[in-house]
Amino acid sequence: MHKHSPINCIIPPDMLKNIATKGTEAQKNLAMNTIKVSAQLRGKRSALADFTAATFRVAVGGKERIIYDANNGSNLPGTVVRREGDPASTDVAVNEAYDGSGVTYDLYNNIYSRNSIDGNGMRLDSTVHYRVGYDNAFWDGEQMVYGDGDEDLPANERLFNRFTIAIDVIGHELTHGVTQFEAKLQYFQQPGALNESMSDVFGSLVKQYQIRQIASEADWIIGAGLLTSNVNGVGIRSMKAPGTAYDDPVLGKDPQPAHMRDYVNTISDNGGVHINSGIPNHAFYVTALELGGFAWEKAGQIWYVTLKDKLTATSRFQDCADLTYQVAAELYGAGSIEQQAVKKGWAEVGLTAGGGGPTPPPDGGGCLGALLRLLGVAPAK
Amino acid sequence: MDIERIKYERTGGFTGMRIAADIEPNDLPEEQAQTLLDLLDDLDFPELPEFLTGDSSMPDQFTYTITVESQEWKHTVVTSDESAPEKMQELLQILNRIARKKIRKQ
Repeated sequence: MHKHSPINCIIPPDMLKNIATKGTEAQKNLAMNTIKVSAQLRGKRSALADFTAATFRVAVGGKERIIYDANNGSNLPGTVVRREGDPASTDVAVNEAYDGSGVTYDLYNNIYSRNSIDGNGMRLDSTVHYRVGYDNAFWDGEQMVYGDGDEDLPANERLFNRFTIAIDVIGHELTHGVTQFEAKLQYFQQPGALNESMSDVFGSLVKQYQIRQIASEADWIIGAGLLTSNVNGVGIRSMKAPGTAYDDPVLGKDPQPAHMRDYVNTISDNGGVHINSGIPNHAFYVTALELGGFAWEKAGQIWYVTLKDKLTATSRFQDCADLTYQVAAELYGAGSIEQQAVKKGWAEVGLTAGGGGPTPPPDGGGCLGALLRLLGVAPAK
Repeated sequence: MDIERIKYERTGGFTGMRIAADIEPNDLPEEQAQTLLDLLDDLDFPELPEFLTGDSSMPDQFTYTITVESQEWKHTVVTSDESAPEKMQELLQILNRIARKKIRKQ
């Protein structure tokens, strides 16, 4: 798929949608890019999310992956380097992206009966070697994108390895896609931290599923292997003990809280989405440990159904606690050990599932939220 | 342009780790400083909109805040990975490289 320049004139949105749905391949791409750019200009992502599945991705009925190479540039998706069924490449990042998205597809398909990101066989596109010295990975609404870390710096100054090195990073990015099609959790403050947490939960489950590891034997580290030996740290986040993944003179200390009393109010990082995710992350960990066995089976099932059927764009931590508690009853029975495990998980982080409980600190509303929306940092209500 | 200082801040991203640096072109190697000043000139930086974020809410993308100060003016632009215009990509790359080098030497 080649990205053309967007159409730089005023075309009614409905006409664009028509072109995007019914036009030729080139017209579709052009229209989609225009919808995307317009959506970006308006600061909205809903237009993109609504049309991605319908227009770009053909349901193929099974696992289909394409890996692209950005050749260290910023143009996406880049050049095709490996398609579904092709033999392994000589490029390790290509193979990691291919294999990692394959295991992620398998977990969702085999365990949760979900056919790909959109539930309808959407092709899994990944781009590796994005930019130079890009220590990041992201889901852009259509595909996964991976940088090579600090490959441009001398070996003794490198802090990050390539981002495909950790399979949970791949599961994390793909799960952002699942969330985009299901709960559509807005990427800001508590809903954003839940969005992040869902990605960490299923990213971690992808890693455990790959090696058929039980909950008590898993490390529950997000991004193990991502930090080089120059860093004092085991990974980027710890679901088992949030706040302990790294403590380093250059990178600083892991800022994640593990309890509501330590909730971090900040405008940075979309309102601390990668910080406060430690709270729901730890609730999942405690629940999974309580239940024992393979975490993807019961705890994962409860969280998956909650993501798919219960959470909404503005759900907060208390909502997630209540809804996982409710789903546990629906799947396993009221008062079941599964439901008790969920209650215990949230209790450990300071939230009472299914019974009211302490009110979490306000955010999103009030002065701070209004100010952020005014500045355009936060989505409009 | 008589640029005295460039403040660079990068937040968000998969790791959620913030990096920031105050960059003074006078302290940079001459060639790098010139490249940087040329890029700012080429972008007509003081005339750029303050928010080139488009969709700053895309999962795991970096948010960049760049403030350029001269004796006469000061201007801040906030942008993100995919919404930064093509012409800005090289600027982001250079600033990021300088900032990453800087924090490793502090």
